[in-house]
Amino acid sequence: MAHVSTLIVILPLLGYLLVLINGSRLTERQIGYVATGVVGLSFVASVVTFVLLLHRHSRQVTVHLFNWIDVGTLHVPAALLIDPLSITMCLFVTGISALIHLYSIGYMHGEKDYKKFFLYLNLFVFSMLTLVLANNLVLTFVGWEGVGVCSYWLVSYYFDRDSASSAGKKAFIYNRVGDVGLLLAMFLLFSRTGTLTYVGVFARAGSLSPTVATLVVLALLLAATGKSAQIPLFNWLPDAMEGPTPVSALIHAATMVTAGVYLLVRMSPVLAISSSGRLTIAIIGGVTAFVAATIATSQKDIKKVLAFSTVSQIGYMVLAVGVGAYAAAIFLMVSHAFFKALLFLGSGSVIHALNGEQDLRKMGALQRFLPLTFPTFLIGWLTISGVPPFAGFWSKGDVLTNVFEHNKILWVLGVVTAILTAYYMSRLFVLTFRGTERFREVTHGHDPHESPWVMTLPLVVLAVLSVLGGLLDLPWIHHDSLAGFLSSTFGYVAPLHAQSTLSQYGLAAVDVAAALIGLAAAISIWRSRTEDERLTPAFLEHVWYWDDFYDATIGRPLEELAVFSDVVVEDEVIDGGVMGLAVGISRSAESVRKIQSGFVRHYALAMMLGTAVLVVFLVARVS
Amino acid sequence: MTTVPVVSSSITIPSIHYLAILPVIILLGASVVLVFATALVRTKVTQFVASSVTVAASVAVLVVTYFQWRCLDSSGPSTTIAHAIVLDGFSVVATGVVAVSLLMATLVAHDWALRERIVGAEYQILALAASAGAVLMTQANDLVVIFLGLEILSLGLYVLVAFDRHRHTSAEAALKYFLLGGFASAIFIYGAALVYGATGSTNLSTMSYFLASNVLTHPGLLYAGFALLIVGFSFKIAAVPFHLWSPDVYEGAPTPVTGFMASIVKVGAFAAFVRVLISALGTQIDTWRPILWVLVVLTTVVGASVALLQRNAKRMLAYSSINHAGFILLGIWAGTTRGVASTLFYIVTYAPTVVATFAVVTLVGGLGDENHSIGGYRGLARRQPWLGASMCVLLLSQLGAPLTSGFYAKYSVLASTIDVGGSPLALIALLSAAIAACFYLRWSSALYSDEPVEATRIVVPLSTGIVIGVGVAMTLVFGIWPGPLVTLCQHATLLFTP
Amino acid sequence: MIATSYAVPSIIVFVGAAIIIIVGALGVITFKNPVHCALSLIMTLFGVAIAFIAQQADFLAAVQIIVYAGAIVVLFLFVIMFLGVDRTDHVHVEPLVAQRPLAALGVVITLGGLVALMAQSHWVTGVMSASTDGKPLESGTANVHQLGTSVFTTYLFAFEATAALLVIAVVGAVLLARRERTLQADEVEV
Repeated sequence: MAHVSTLIVILPLLGYLLVLINGSRLTERQIGYVATGVVGLSFVASVVTFVLLLHRHSRQVTVHLFNWIDVGTLHVPAALLIDPLSITMCLFVTGISALIHLYSIGYMHGEKDYKKFFLYLNLFVFSMLTLVLANNLVLTFVGWEGVGVCSYWLVSYYFDRDSASSAGKKAFIYNRVGDVGLLLAMFLLFSRTGTLTYVGVFARAGSLSPTVATLVVLALLLAATGKSAQIPLFNWLPDAMEGPTPVSALIHAATMVTAGVYLLVRMSPVLAISSSGRLTIAIIGGVTAFVAATIATSQKDIKKVLAFSTVSQIGYMVLAVGVGAYAAAIFLMVSHAFFKALLFLGSGSVIHALNGEQDLRKMGALQRFLPLTFPTFLIGWLTISGVPPFAGFWSKGDVLTNVFEHNKILWVLGVVTAILTAYYMSRLFVLTFRGTERFREVTHGHDPHESPWVMTLPLVVLAVLSVLGGLLDLPWIHHDSLAGFLSSTFGYVAPLHAQSTLSQYGLAAVDVAAALIGLAAAISIWRSRTEDERLTPAFLEHVWYWDDFYDATIGRPLEELAVFSDVVVEDEVIDGGVMGLAVGISRSAESVRKIQSGFVRHYALAMMLGTAVLVVFLVARVS
Repeated sequence: MTTVPVVSSSITIPSIHYLAILPVIILLGASVVLVFATALVRTKVTQFVASSVTVAASVAVLVVTYFQWRCLDSSGPSTTIAHAIVLDGFSVVATGVVAVSLLMATLVAHDWALRERIVGAEYQILALAASAGAVLMTQANDLVVIFLGLEILSLGLYVLVAFDRHRHTSAEAALKYFLLGGFASAIFIYGAALVYGATGSTNLSTMSYFLASNVLTHPGLLYAGFALLIVGFSFKIAAVPFHLWSPDVYEGAPTPVTGFMASIVKVGAFAAFVRVLISALGTQIDTWRPILWVLVVLTTVVGASVALLQRNAKRMLAYSSINHAGFILLGIWAGTTRGVASTLFYIVTYAPTVVATFAVVTLVGGLGDENHSIGGYRGLARRQPWLGASMCVLLLSQLGAPLTSGFYAKYSVLASTIDVGGSPLALIALLSAAIAACFYLRWSSALYSDEPVEATRIVVPLSTGIVIGVGVAMTLVFGIWPGPLVTLCQHATLLFTP
Repeated sequence: MIATSYAVPSIIVFVGAAIIIIVGALGVITFKNPVHCALSLIMTLFGVAIAFIAQQADFLAAVQIIVYAGAIVVLFLFVIMFLGVDRTDHVHVEPLVAQRPLAALGVVITLGGLVALMAQSHWVTGVMSASTDGKPLESGTANVHQLGTSVFTTYLFAFEATAALLVIAVVGAVLLARRERTLQADEVEV
């Protein structure tokens, strides 16, 4: 098992190295297949590990690779922690990544930096798996940073476009702010528990005082808001849509953004100690879900809608974590990975068909031309809207049921968000596939064409998964399904009050009603129009003016400080000081160098005098 | 007629643990084989044959060190041949470093000899002998043996420094080195004699035992002795103010020889220095510590600041190596087990880095070995990305940048210094590192400069390329993943550590 | 104190030997003519031989005279003859003004300091040597015996290493002397 689980991580790295070293000798297609193949094999290794783990009595295995850092009391091994949580993550990360790799072979066909793209993609998967499988926070942090930097490279993949390169920077900087949180959490935990391995921290979690635990949780939350695009660090994600669409699907829907949620779930034993910390998490999640959903209703770019929808869905997951429903969070994460990857890849297929056009106003009536994309996208739409019996209904229902138990206000917010979700997705769907043809201008009058099989095959697989994903964790078999499998890895979870079957059906009915209201409203409104100022107010379209707010409160003052530092502090104080010091050192060194005359007798003299001083010192010491 | 006195007892030859002295035997044996081959075979011994023999010998030494380590694991450290030689972790690791340095330096010198059309096996003969001297120093448990090792090492190097027939600076440097080296050796042996007078033995273990079991009411003689020993060692490691020979010699010597010197002299001299101060004179730490304190301050600060003024790559590296010597001394100053381990770690990581650095300098030096101004490195990384990046990594490692082995090396000596309350000293050393950063960074940024420079493309021969690659790889691997090496150095403690 | 372990006549012998040694050594470094230097060296070595005899190390004294004063200095003289006696080196320029006074000062301080240190300490070796298990050195053949014993026991390894040192010294010297001269064109001009 140790070997197989090591393979999960090593294979993508191997692929990276293979392509890096042989890249110039391989054809475009070979590069694509190598990169896809290693991730596929990694998925196979995950499955094997999963099966092996199922047959073990103790479902927590540490695979020690080597001692990485041994400094004083800090011992950080490079070791993997195989447990239900990490293997669940591995399964869907490698599975979906493999599909997206396959899809990219078609989508990226003919791009200039084809090789580079797959290099980054493999490196990204490697980082993500390191993050997930690490048995300690430091190694997780390595993966965390690796994911961050790969996402920077991939977002600014079209770096000759200004918007792409600045989006990359934005993503990176927002992530860095979040990273501070993770570092702070690590420092705090190390100073209080003396260890950074998960198992060690959890064993000593009980000794943390509630204040420290709350601080740790808040620091972790900061980290999670950065990586998972939650308020206040959420608005890098929509900009990150500048990257190629497979990147959006892989990073900004299925894997990277779930890292924050994963971290919170992983640290659940610490979360269990701090109820105020959990409440903060729940509020952040709920509010983010709502805010992002409102913004998604007014976007004109197909990928932007999906991006805000991602933010909103992750808000749900964070909300679930906040109320202690970790299994529900993971369930939603997995099913979201299915349907959001499906939607992104579907939208990629649409964009591909329209020669790169992303504006919803220039689409419409594509149903006829995209015979495979249309039905799969339809499934994705129904799934995210929460229509039974698709996966979204079950997973979102699971979250909302748990929230209802803990906090009625947040539950109401959740239901409103559900209505909004159904609404904006239906708007997207209708504008894209129904209505009148508005794309002739971008296709130069040609008919749009369906994508090649490497692109449609992943769509079909993901569509099937979206339909069946609910089976992972149906409400009446909680203990024998995902939730039961995962439960051993969580900290203390307050048991749900035994809800009556009636109230469960009631809640489910509310969910269905919310979905249907949203669908009906959107279809009736957007069937006949493509634009409406009243329904897409500028306030929402411009993301609640969030960027302008940051610009005014943080950006400008910082820039002024930077200018001040540059002109006054740097030039006058530091530069002056350093130059002064440098001149001083040079002057004194110059005089020392004079001794370096090249004459042996001078050298011997220096030695003699050195010896004399030494002897005098010892004479003084003896007497 | 007088009667011949009857011999009262027969001589018992001390037992010999051959595994312990096998590295020296291999190196000297290979050297002698080459001497004979040169003398007896009618055709000239080709570079290829000579280098192959040398490489084989150094690989054999590495294999032997592996078995020595296994022997240590099973039966612990020991002394042999009337306690003249030690087999302990420290000596084994240091011997391994000498072998690696010899191996790398030989590969570099091979290509250099082909480039400069040097025939014959002289270089290899002397390099092997010098390495044998260095190994002797790492193993010696007797002042006499240390002295002999030192002389074997030095004699080999004197001739190697004079090896370049085309530049008069080479012969001049050798003469300077020889004269001053002789001076230092005389001081050293006088010191050894005085220590013998004070303790009744030249054997380090006996000395240590004597000093531990007797309190010297009048230690003046002992002090005088070890003061002179310290001067002798300081000369070899080029500690300020006994360093003045080193820039001239580094510059004058053929570049591959400089790289070889910079690594194995440091290994041998520091190993013996550690053994003398910590094993034998550990009880006198309160007396030698202040001396080392001053040496460290002078060495680090002068090394770093004078390096700033150099325009010649080899001279700059000479001062940089002086600065490094100061850092390595820090570990000895600490005088603890951790200090010894960090000194060893520093040496282990520094040796391959410096050989690889001089390998690049050899290549850039070009035919005739004369193009050594820093200006020659302008834009190297733009023209030849791999070579330039390698040099950049090697320089950054010497600077002590994170993710290179130099970082952890500096960190560990500083940490062991602070452990025993040497924060001011650590601070001074750190400041010197900051000064040193200036010229390392200036050099590395020159590598990436955009200015168009007229320069011919440097051909990287295979074996030199391998050396540079290995050096960079070791620098990075030990930088990113120092764990195993740290563990190794921690296990490689001295036999008689206090 | 040093004096306590010696009888008065030995002090006279010691002082005499010491004067011979030091005067000889000074001669080596001050004479301009290399032949004179070599002869001064003989004087020093001779003084050392006397010191050995005073310590009852007769064998070493004999070796000192025969090998060093005899063979080695004669070799020196040969080399000097080969190279030409008249080659002298003059220090024309002395950029560091205080070079000589400073050097003298350094030497005086160092030696003074060393003597001061030695004057007030215990000697463990000497007549009661640790290497002979506390027995005084015997004169005559037993002296050679003791020397041989310690060379083949205590200093066995050092003895062998010396062999290696000598081999390397010879090889190095040969290599330096045998180097092909590539600058022959230069010499033709002269």
